[in-house]
Order: sequence, then structure tokens, then C-alpha cells
Amino acid sequence: MTSSRRLPYLLLLPGIALLVAILYPFLSGVYWSFTDFDLALGQNPTFAGITNYLTSFAPGGEGLHAFLITLAYAALAVALQTALGFGVALLLMREGAHIKFIRALIVLPLLMPPVVATMMWRVMMIPDGVLNYMLGWVWLPPFDWLGSTSTALFSVVLIDTWIYTPFVILILLAGMQSIPTEIHEAARVDGASYPREVWNLVVPLLRPFFIIVIVFRGIDSLKMFDIIYTATRGGPIDATMNLHVQAYFTGVRDLNIGESMSFLVVLWVLCYGLAFVLLRIRRGRMA
Amino acid sequence: MFGIKLGGSSARRRRRMNDILALAALLAYTVFALFPLFWIFLMSIKKPVDIIATPPKFFFTPTLENYADVLSRPDFLLPYKNSVIVSVGSLLLSLIIGLPAAYALARMDFRFKEDLAFSFLSLRFAPELIVLLPLFVIYQSFGLYNTYIGLILVYQLITFPLMVWMMRSFLEDVPKELEEAVQIDGGSWFTGFRMIVARIALPGLAASCVLAFIYAWNHFVFALVLASRDTQVITAGLLQFISFEQIEWGSMAAGVMLAIIPEFIIAVFALRYMIRGLTAGTVKG
Repeated sequence: MTSSRRLPYLLLLPGIALLVAILYPFLSGVYWSFTDFDLALGQNPTFAGITNYLTSFAPGGEGLHAFLITLAYAALAVALQTALGFGVALLLMREGAHIKFIRALIVLPLLMPPVVATMMWRVMMIPDGVLNYMLGWVWLPPFDWLGSTSTALFSVVLIDTWIYTPFVILILLAGMQSIPTEIHEAARVDGASYPREVWNLVVPLLRPFFIIVIVFRGIDSLKMFDIIYTATRGGPIDATMNLHVQAYFTGVRDLNIGESMSFLVVLWVLCYGLAFVLLRIRRGRMA
Repeated sequence: MFGIKLGGSSARRRRRMNDILALAALLAYTVFALFPLFWIFLMSIKKPVDIIATPPKFFFTPTLENYADVLSRPDFLLPYKNSVIVSVGSLLLSLIIGLPAAYALARMDFRFKEDLAFSFLSLRFAPELIVLLPLFVIYQSFGLYNTYIGLILVYQLITFPLMVWMMRSFLEDVPKELEEAVQIDGGSWFTGFRMIVARIALPGLAASCVLAFIYAWNHFVFALVLASRDTQVITAGLLQFISFEQIEWGSMAAGVMLAIIPEFIIAVFALRYMIRGLTAGTVKG
């Protein structure tokens, strides 16, 4: 009996070992965020309290700016993708052979490396590129997509939307397919119009699926690195510099480990805040 | 399915109108989703003159020069090979440590079960650099910087939680009675484990492997920080093509096609199971 009680832990041992192994760099990093650790100066870290946090996140500091960009990027990306994904998922609920084919095609952006997808968009977004050319077809002026501080953030969110909307579509579609047809029929018998049916019936029933979309997309866009690094490297100037990219430049390029870790700790808290929402939902449903 | 069913010809005409509008909207989104892929494909079979032409060219004489060029370049072939090694290595290691864990979480009851499961999942939710930056310092002193082993270890941060949660979700779908029957016949838990993993959950296992491979293949920041020239992977390798002053559009486009086509081919087989992988088993598609 004892052996069968220990068995699950034995099976989980390699996984637990991995978790413990990760704790070492993680805790070192969190500690460094409270030190003046700087590899460029070659010094040993000395404890500095919350100096890094105070200086970076003070008004006008790099950290505060990056924090705001992080929130703006995530809010824009999640709102846009949830709305667009919901719309497309509704359209895909219609029947027909062509729908299945379209469904398979539109998942493709999600399968490719975000870095590579972003490179494709960078090619199209150059001033003489094909996007501006096509804007000309509909008599719109050219656009400095990634080159101007006022448009760059929207352009990277557009790339994010291209890659990740299929994720939203897949989840919401799975949710819609789990709604029994009788419920729709009942709504129609009651004389509900299609928009009312969607708003009063489909949206509330999909609530758990919307939450999953917002948690997963929220976390991934808060910690977005690949798209921004590839498209703009945080620029022009610092128009798209979020916490993750800022931490890379401060830590890996400038070797100021202490300050970089303070950005990452703040970002980590943001991501885990959202992750705990997910945990609570799971608990609620499993119980 | 959601269409409005009303009598009368005007209602029918309106319904027809709605169907057409819906299809048009869907087609518009499909064009948005596919155009960049189409454009980069065109670029990959253009001659240099056609690539830099303004206005951009939709019609031209195609060439395979770019593919020939990129396939003869060590700065493309080496990262490609490295990506295969690192992705397959990460997948195998995740399989070895993840499959027993998934089985225990799906089949056994023990204390801290959900806490452990969530801890595994939480690896996926951390911003990568919070572990990478310390590892960047630590790896140098352990001689793991710029090695395959070092990369495969750190790739577990993404492939391991994926494997555990996806396989847990698949194993939970298999009726428990199957293993109980094995145990009544005197078999050990391992006989039962082998039976359900190797037979019944095999499609799920294949899908998990495909997705873990794709996740590893697509990843960028681990190698950006912890790899140098010898072990650089394909994502970072391709980025080099547009990072220097002279941008080699054609070769880059051909490289992009070569980097994504294998993925699309294998993904076709796993498409049905993708939702579980993307949501770590929280949604069963």
C-alpha cells in the first residue's frame, strides 16, 4: 500500500525536479532586482533595497513608460482579437463544405513562428511596400506603418491580431459548438431576432470561453517579445518599448542585470495576476 | 444554424442577402489571413529586380534562384539543423518527464495534486526572460551557454507544461475501467499505463508531440539569449537576413517558406487536437 501511495510522487519526480531547478535562477533573479548587479561593471551584487524599482518606475522613468506600453498593447490586442474572433466564429457556425475548408486555412498564421510572421509583415509595411500600394487602390494616402511613433504601436498590434485571432476563433467556436441546438430553437420559438439571440443567449453561455481567451491572450500579450523585437525593437524611439523588450535591452545588451530584473518582476506579477484568475475558474469547474 | 426561419418571399430574399453578406465577410477575413503568406511566397520566386520594383509586382517570370541560394548558405542550413536538433531533443525530454507526470495527474489521487498541476502550467505563464536572464549569467559558469543541452533544458519551460496538460486531458478521456480490468487480471499499473498510452491514447500522444515540436520550432527568445553562432536556431537565423544594412529579401523569403512548410504539413494531422494544446487542456475541442 505504501508503494502505491508514493507512486504518484515518483512519477512526478522528474517534473518536480524541473520546477525546483527553475526556482534557483528565478529566485536569484528576483534577489538581483533588489541589488545593483551590473555585469558591465563586473561588480558583485550588493543589496540596494527597492532602489531599482523607485528609479525606473518614477514619473519619466523607463520602467513606467514600458509599463504603460505593456498595458496599452495588451488591452488593444485582446479587445481587437476578442471582437474580431467572435465575429468570425459566428460566421463559421454556418454550415457548408466550404466552411470547413476556410476554417483550416485561417489557422495557418497561428502555426508559424511569430518572428517569421512579423518578418513577412515588416516586408509589406515598408514605405514602398505592398500595403501602401493597396491603400492606393482605395484612394487612401500611404501610411508610415512601423516608422512613425504615432502609428507603430497600432501596427504591431495589427501583426499580433493577424497571428492570434485564429486562437480566439478556435476557442469560441469550440464553445459555440458545445451549446445544444435546442437552446437556439427555444430562442427562435420565443421570436428572438438573430442579434438578440447572439447577445442575450450566445454571449452569456460563452462566458467561460471568453474568460479563457482573455486570460491566455492577456498573458501572452502582456509578455509579448517576439513581435515587437522583430518589428521595431521597441522603436521608433520608445513608442513600442514594453517591459519585456525593455528588460532585454537593459539586461542582455547593457548588462544592467539589477534594473532589468526589476522590470521582469513587475511583468511577472502582472502575468501571474491573470493566471490566478484562470486557476480560480478551473477550481470552480472541477469541484 | 443561427439563420432565421420565416415564411414569405421577402423574408427569404433577406435571408439570402444575409448569407451572401456573411460569406463576403468570411472571405474578407480569409484574404486578410492568407495574403501575407501569398505575398512572401511570391517574393520567394521573384528575381531581385522584381522584388524591389515600385509599384510592387504581382506578375513576373518566376525563378527558383532564391531557393538555390538559401539552400547553399551555411548561415541558413546550420540554424535549420540546430532547430531540428533542439526541437526534437526538447520534445523527447518532455515526453520522458511529462508522460509519467500526466498519467499520475490523470489517474491517481494524492495531496497537492492540483497545486502541482498548476505549478507546471505556470511555467508557461512566466515572462521568459525572468528565468533566462539569470540563466544567461549562470549558464556561462556551468559551460551550458551556447550548447544543445543547455537549450534543450530551457526549452522544457514550454514543451513540458504543454505535454503534461495535453496528455492529462487525453488520458482523462479514456475510461478508467480499462486499467481496472488490467489490474484485476493481475497486471501492474505499468501494464495499464502502457496499454492506454500505446493503444488508446495514441492519436492524442501524436498530436501532443506535433504541437510540442511546433512550439519549440517557433520559439525565439531562448536561443536569442542563450545560443551563439554554433547553436543558433532558425527563427534567429532568419532574422539575420534582414538585420544587416543589405537586406536580402529574396533569400529571406525563400528561407521563410522553407521554415514554415514542414510545420504546415505536420500540423494538418494535429489540427483536430490543437485547442487542447493551446489552452493546456482547459478547453476540449
